[in-house]
Amino acid sequence: MALIEVQDLKKTYKIGTVEVPALNGVTFKVEYGEFVAIMGPSGSGKSTLMNLIGCLDRPTGGKFILDGSDASKLTDAARAEVRNRKIGFVFQSFNLLPKMSAFKNAMLPMMYSSQRRDPKRVREALESVGLGHRFHHTPMQLSGGEQQRVAVARALVNDPPVIFGDEPTGNLDSATGVEIMAIFQRLNNEGKTVIIVTHEPDIAQHAKRILRFRDGLLESDEQVEEQLIAVPRPRE
Amino acid sequence: MGILDAIQTGLTELLSHKMRSMLTMLGVIFGVAAVIAMVSIGEGAKQEALDQIKQMGIDVIHIRRASITGELANRAEERSPFGLKASDARIIDEVCTFAQMVVPTREVFADVKVGEKPVSVKIVGTTSGYLSVSKSELQSGRFLRDKDIHDHLSVCVLGAAAKRELFGFDDPIGKMVKANNRLFRVVGLIKPKEIGSAKAFSTMRDLNSDIYIPINVSETDFKIASQQAVPSDVIMLQRIAQKLMSKQSPENSSLSEVIVQLDSEEATGPAASIIRSILNRTHRGIRDYEIIIPAELLKQSQATQRIFNIVMAAIAGISLLVGGIGIMNIMLATVTQRTREIGVRRCIGATRWDIVRQFMLEALVITCMGGLIGIVAGVGGAKLISDFAGWRTMVSMQAIIVSFGVSALVGVVFGMYPAVRAAMVDPIEALRYA
Repeated sequence: MALIEVQDLKKTYKIGTVEVPALNGVTFKVEYGEFVAIMGPSGSGKSTLMNLIGCLDRPTGGKFILDGSDASKLTDAARAEVRNRKIGFVFQSFNLLPKMSAFKNAMLPMMYSSQRRDPKRVREALESVGLGHRFHHTPMQLSGGEQQRVAVARALVNDPPVIFGDEPTGNLDSATGVEIMAIFQRLNNEGKTVIIVTHEPDIAQHAKRILRFRDGLLESDEQVEEQLIAVPRPRE
Repeated sequence: MGILDAIQTGLTELLSHKMRSMLTMLGVIFGVAAVIAMVSIGEGAKQEALDQIKQMGIDVIHIRRASITGELANRAEERSPFGLKASDARIIDEVCTFAQMVVPTREVFADVKVGEKPVSVKIVGTTSGYLSVSKSELQSGRFLRDKDIHDHLSVCVLGAAAKRELFGFDDPIGKMVKANNRLFRVVGLIKPKEIGSAKAFSTMRDLNSDIYIPINVSETDFKIASQQAVPSDVIMLQRIAQKLMSKQSPENSSLSEVIVQLDSEEATGPAASIIRSILNRTHRGIRDYEIIIPAELLKQSQATQRIFNIVMAAIAGISLLVGGIGIMNIMLATVTQRTREIGVRRCIGATRWDIVRQFMLEALVITCMGGLIGIVAGVGGAKLISDFAGWRTMVSMQAIIVSFGVSALVGVVFGMYPAVRAAMVDPIEALRYA
């Protein structure tokens, strides 16, 4: 069974009376443990696809199965639960809550879950991204790379099967970007499925498979022959 | 998200904008403080009125002479020249067999001095029943007796303030008081009566500075202390001439007040209508008297209190409404400002309901904190008013609970719309929001 199964997925936006097609029927599968990069120019439909498989939006046609259950026809509350339990989001602009400490930010998904809150798990998540010493700093007191690590820890805290990264290195310098990619690769090696959207070919080369989109259609689906291994430079 | 987490989030949010939170709360603070302070004043005034009316006794009827002026005064002079008279008291006593006691009083002009210093006391001629109908108690000695009146004895009973004026801290019993060149022997002393700081009713007077003497003694030696009807000059001269010629009989002597003691409060209504019809006949329709029914006054004051309470509630309602609108305004601004935060929360698993609850709780925290501060300010305000203005205030627990409840309700009502707006935010749009 595949983690993600997309069949003829369509999405059309209505702007006034005009219908604007964004995704014109896309079909692919992502197995457990894959590392996929989604690429494409602006308007190619990659963001729309991300929103759909991230359960933030509903398709206007087609089927989308996530972790064995049909996620295309869920209610709003059910989709919220799927986002909480099955998906970890990492955004381009980090999207941490500015008034909360790193620790609380990382704990946030637990607060919306029915599970018992587990500070130990939060600590482990933060330590696994190398932020063991900055629990009580607010995002303002952290560098961009550190903020993104908090975001990754937040994505990990409920132990979801898949991590979605929407241009996760877009706001970072290249060295820091490589550090984040190293974390993603490590998570992937530990068994997590990782899907990232990016338009930087260098970043996409860190994945094992690249899906290219153009004009709302899947243009190509290829395995990466020479996967770049991210080796973060040691910090002085 | 647990409710405690949500409250904590709300508090953190409020504390991170202290100034804005404070300003937002002000409406509720003022509303609640105003309600509590005003209800306290109202309760205090009500209590005062009740005490005073109870002091008069609710099972009595007072009939007082009333001064009338203008055209009516001329007719009064013709038809009922002596105002409230001893004969009125006698007729009431005869007709109202159900009355326990009918006690006449005469407040008279008198010149009372200690040494050469004039003293502000009031001499009141009355009968032995006065002590009980005025709900007074003896401190020492005895009150006037029927025998004093029968024998025209020059004895007097002092009110507490009168005693203090005349004798200071000495024991007055057996000592003499000089009034209009006549000496009275003090036979009794009355306990001080609590009169209250503000007089709720014009009919109340301070009984503490009274000196009581036998009513017939007051008739022979003193003039009644009241403006009788004032007719025009010519008619007045005629009347004076007539009066001088016709010898004034004891039957016609003027009274200040007649107090009728009844069995119970319920008897006052029917008794008052009987007395009214008697006096209407004997005074030939001239209303130179007024009938005061304390039980009735009590009802009136309670009715007034009810109206006061309704007005109070309306004012409170308006100020809380304004406060609530202020809160809604700020919450709407907050929702817009925090669109991105809402997007993030939704993205990591918050349901719409989680968002509604979070913003509702924030509004609720604002209004409840405002309510608490308002309660403190209101109670403090009531205390200040009673300290500086000398009004009696009574902080009522009911007012505190109700106004706190209403401020919480304001939080729910006015927090609802912004919270729903927050929940309707599309997470995709919200994440894109700068």
